[in-house]
Amino acid sequence: MDVILSGLGQGFAVALQPFNLFLVLAGCFLGTLIGALPGIGPINGVAILLPIAYSLGFPPESALILLAGIYYGAEYGGRISSILLNVPGDAGAVMTTLDGSPMAKRGEAGRALSLSGVASFVGGSISIILMTLFAPMLAAFAVKFSPADYVALMVFAFLSLAALVGKSAVKTLLAAVIGLMIASIGVDANTGVMRFTLGSPDLMAGIDFLVIVIGLFGMAELLHLVESYARGTLKTLPVDKTFVSWADLFAVKWVMLRSSLLGFIVGVLPGTGASVASAVSYGTEKRLAGESGKSFGTGDIRGLAAPESANNASAGGAMVPMLTLGIPGSGTTAILLGALLLFNITPGPLLFEQKPEIAWGLIASMYIGNIALLIINLPLVGLFARLLTIPQQYLTPLITVLAFIGVYSVVGNPFDLYMVIGLGVLGWILRKLEFSLAPVILGVVLGNLFEDNLRRALSMSGGDWSILFQSVNSWALYGLAFAVVALPLVMRYFKRKRQASAV
Amino acid sequence: MADRIFAAITLLVVMAYGWAAFMLIKAPFQYDPLGPESWPRILSVVAGLCCLWIIFKPTVHEFDITKNSLVRIALMVGLLIGYAYLFEHMGFIIATALYCGASVKLLGGNVKQAVIFGVVTSVIGYLVSAKLLELNVPAGVFKNLI
Repeated sequence: MDVILSGLGQGFAVALQPFNLFLVLAGCFLGTLIGALPGIGPINGVAILLPIAYSLGFPPESALILLAGIYYGAEYGGRISSILLNVPGDAGAVMTTLDGSPMAKRGEAGRALSLSGVASFVGGSISIILMTLFAPMLAAFAVKFSPADYVALMVFAFLSLAALVGKSAVKTLLAAVIGLMIASIGVDANTGVMRFTLGSPDLMAGIDFLVIVIGLFGMAELLHLVESYARGTLKTLPVDKTFVSWADLFAVKWVMLRSSLLGFIVGVLPGTGASVASAVSYGTEKRLAGESGKSFGTGDIRGLAAPESANNASAGGAMVPMLTLGIPGSGTTAILLGALLLFNITPGPLLFEQKPEIAWGLIASMYIGNIALLIINLPLVGLFARLLTIPQQYLTPLITVLAFIGVYSVVGNPFDLYMVIGLGVLGWILRKLEFSLAPVILGVVLGNLFEDNLRRALSMSGGDWSILFQSVNSWALYGLAFAVVALPLVMRYFKRKRQASAV
Repeated sequence: MADRIFAAITLLVVMAYGWAAFMLIKAPFQYDPLGPESWPRILSVVAGLCCLWIIFKPTVHEFDITKNSLVRIALMVGLLIGYAYLFEHMGFIIATALYCGASVKLLGGNVKQAVIFGVVTSVIGYLVSAKLLELNVPAGVFKNLI
């Protein structure tokens, strides 16, 4: 407990510096805006703004505070367009449209926005508190991990990714392996041997992380916007004067609590972020509601509170493995992890000891940001509602301009501009074929860590592969991996059996 | 079909990657049991198996896109390539003005909107990024003027 309190003290000392405080607020504001704009979600927003934040020369903790603010701010903002436009602002807000939009249509837009704002706040707060309690514990535990344990952890991470993310497990796995293959391009750090550089000096240092992120998330998103453009003009419903009542909040208090816990846990699992969290919690609440759950989907406040608490809670949850193990809990935290690597900081169990200003500074900034977001999102919601109608024809070129400035100002190599476009087309095709892109970026970020630990483990054992299965930790992780893969299959089996007997 | 074509192309790339991993990459001397070639070898086998699986059990059959959207995407990619070329050779301001104007036109704006948006974005964008934030943006032909 002492560690936590002194850590928090240190963190607030960082987060309350005027410059960092400004960045928290700027991040939260930008995040809400990015989340609210249909189409651009947290992952695209962070991807597009990462190189600019990097080239401004901020200290690493400040850059991370800003980018994280955009991340959890966007989880708040996504609900605005879900409710007012019936178009999810980002993938995590898909479930919010189900009950949020019917409420707005019957003239309760204000009530829906304020209720979901409070639900977001509850989800965010609970997950930050859980993060404060568990992250240092997990870090203290993970310090003892051997390279073989890390290999087991990676296997767990990639298998749970395959099992839980995307429509097809094989496609998700292939996407992750493509990411790992991209990471293997360049000079091998251990031996100095060139790998897959095709003799080109542009590829010797590997493909720059920023280029991959901007290409796959900025440019691919842009092409997606251009493709879906023809849908005509969207019409926003007005924000009316209705507001959430205490009775409403009292009615959903357990829903918010359960969904926050669930969202946090889903967030901690590697690779699964807001979209899985909100879908799981919505389904769970609907089932728990029993007979009265029939009103879900027609503007039930429980169906609005559940996904909003969960997707905000998942953002905090996803930070836990990123900071303590160096394994991102979601696609967006994979980009944050990559951002730290750009600053030559390797997150992992030692981060809390060696760079407390980063780990604790980030956590403290999230306390501040979450309160700021509640304030931004209750009275100022009308402002964001007006910004929703920025025409796509202006938004799309602006994304390109930001992306090009970012890539050029960091890398300064015109070759990379073409690379970004090429990766954008690849990312767009992958999306059309129902691949998810987050696993690719997880693969890119984790490639070196995975390979290094495997090589280190085997050099410790002199080439004996059985070292991978010798410690209790690794067995526990393989067990978890097996459970994550097997559980959905078992559940599907029982569901089918029950349906068969019901007929 | 769409899945199969993509998986087949990916399989070819993976085979080239695997060929390099199995045949080309070799450390001149090494002390560790796993050299620089081992990890790519594992990856190529896993990726190859995934591709084969998708070829045998595809889930997306049609590449779902209308002709209009495809034309618009192709035009946008063309604009992006042009933007990248001009960005390098003529500098930020001219490239951005032309690109933004052309995109607004492509996405349904009228000429007036396109011209205003192009000029405003390029000038403000340059002032903010190059002067205010001191980022490295190519000044291009205006190098001596500003």
